Amino acid sequence: MTITKQKTIKRLVSVLAAALALFAFTERAEAQQILLTGPLAGAPAVRKLRLHGKGRFEVAPAVSFSLLDEYQRTIFAGARLQYHFTDWLSFGAWGAVGAAHIPTYLSDQIQEVNAARRTLDPNGVTLDRQLTAVNLGPDFTKQLGTMDWVVAPQLTAVPFRGKLALFQSIYLDTDLYFFAGPAIIGVTERKNCAGTTSDPCVNNFAMASRVAVAPTFGLGFNFFINKWSALGFEYRGMPMSWNTGGFDTAGGGQDKKFPDNKISNDDRQFHFNSVLTLSFNVYLPFQYKVSE
Amino acid sequence: MKSSPIGLLVAVALGIFPAQSWAQAKAGKVTAAGKATAAKDSEGVIDADASGSAAAGGDAAAAAEGTPAAGDTPADAGEETGDSPAGSGLDDICKIDPAACPNLDMDKEAARPLKEQIFAVQQAYALRVRRFELQAGWSISMNDQFVGHPAPVLALNYYITNVLAVGVNGAYYAPFNVDQDFNSQVRRAARVAVPLTEYQWGAALNFTYVPAYGKFAGFGDFIFHYDAYVVGGVGALSVRPIPVIDPDNRNFEYEPKLAFNAGIGLRIFFNRWFAAVLEVRDYVFNDKLESLTVSRIPGPGPNGAGNPNTWYGETRLTNNVQAQFGAAIFLPFSFHYRLPK
Repeated sequence: MTITKQKTIKRLVSVLAAALALFAFTERAEAQQILLTGPLAGAPAVRKLRLHGKGRFEVAPAVSFSLLDEYQRTIFAGARLQYHFTDWLSFGAWGAVGAAHIPTYLSDQIQEVNAARRTLDPNGVTLDRQLTAVNLGPDFTKQLGTMDWVVAPQLTAVPFRGKLALFQSIYLDTDLYFFAGPAIIGVTERKNCAGTTSDPCVNNFAMASRVAVAPTFGLGFNFFINKWSALGFEYRGMPMSWNTGGFDTAGGGQDKKFPDNKISNDDRQFHFNSVLTLSFNVYLPFQYKVSE
Repeated sequence: MKSSPIGLLVAVALGIFPAQSWAQAKAGKVTAAGKATAAKDSEGVIDADASGSAAAGGDAAAAAEGTPAAGDTPADAGEETGDSPAGSGLDDICKIDPAACPNLDMDKEAARPLKEQIFAVQQAYALRVRRFELQAGWSISMNDQFVGHPAPVLALNYYITNVLAVGVNGAYYAPFNVDQDFNSQVRRAARVAVPLTEYQWGAALNFTYVPAYGKFAGFGDFIFHYDAYVVGGVGALSVRPIPVIDPDNRNFEYEPKLAFNAGIGLRIFFNRWFAAVLEVRDYVFNDKLESLTVSRIPGPGPNGAGNPNTWYGETRLTNNVQAQFGAAIFLPFSFHYRLPK
């Protein structure tokens, strides 16, 4: 074998070795992407899941706060009672009474102006008094609409279950749920009046109660403290029309968008009626089930 | 020297074979019952079933028999089936030294509860440390029933640690302020005017702390991760009154006000760099309201109705609670865990 041939063979072998080495490295890189199959494939996302709901009753004393009120805030005291057919579906009801009604700053301002006008003009002869005769009684805060009680049967779905690490030292089971149903609401608002001599609206600020039905829906979080209790935070909407201020705002003019000197159903304005609820949930029986 | 290239070739070839044995690609499908279909790649799939772990998939009988859970495929090439020489080795030990013979009730041992340390959240799904977070979203006012303040918002945060970030945010309100019908209804019904304020823009320097993170299983099928944070900072909010008491004379200019903010937020991760964000933040500032009284002196004189000094009334501490919905992108897109847990 000549020296040239030997060199050629050496070069060939070296190139081949280098190529194989590159091939080998490539294979190693690809070999990182191992797709393990077997028991994990098709297995449930969560094993040994603590089923806090399944087959249990829930009794949840709750306090609720109305949001975005124009004239008066309401604090509800009540409870939610539910039976969880499965861990993700339950049926029950939320019931509450309006335990406290707190006028807003706007109501206080209106009453302050109203009281000043009445002091200066007790006979109601000034323009301001005449123009507000239908709308403002002696005490504005007494003519405000109130939600007195609510009963809301509801279906609740719990699509999301999880856990929460707080400061990497406190670990809680959590769930996120959605609910919907009809709400039966006891409302007190200014009584309708025809604005006639026999049924005047001026100096007539009587109140009347009625039962309104509205859809209710919302979502909430539960944070489970132990096997039988949890803290709940919930948002609820109860959209409906009602006369929150006792004003004559509609019923006349084009599309009934102007005052007509009467108090009627047309004066009920649409409100979303948002409520935020805090609850302490107790689950019965005290022991929960565990999934496979 | 002549044999060195060949030796190198052999060494490389030896290095290749183990790598090839790793480089197995597609795995066979496993049904919900834990049964594996025949692996398409007959060259050997790394299949956890082959080690007799069928119980995890629900096939306890197969596991007890020491056969692969898949049942319908032989053990993959190069993998132990688990029924070989272990038994005979133990027998030999027992024959030689009965005292050293292992005397374990395997059923009892299998039933014994494991004391393995399990982390509640095994590994933070998305590390934030030394990453930028770019947030974009839409914000709406939560506590102003008189004027709505929706706005597009942008935020940029840099995470100094995994739980602490410093950043800036901004919102542009000017074209989106909504004077509600309710205001005119009150003015008409009660002849009481409520001073109104509209916003132009807001910007703040913020600190973000992430005390909580976790994960949710959705419909028992998929898992997503989330974290919750608190945020606070200081900045400016450019505001002006909407003239309702004397709109004929008053024409207010926007003025930036010092504004402090504090809030909480929730991030839901779709992957390790993209998340949905829900945030509620309260911006607190001193709002200079429109004066409720109108000067009876016309013109821009010292006490005239046209003099801007007569336009402003009381200054009130105002809370502007904004809810923000948006998305967050973490940069760089990838990161490395320092520890396995």
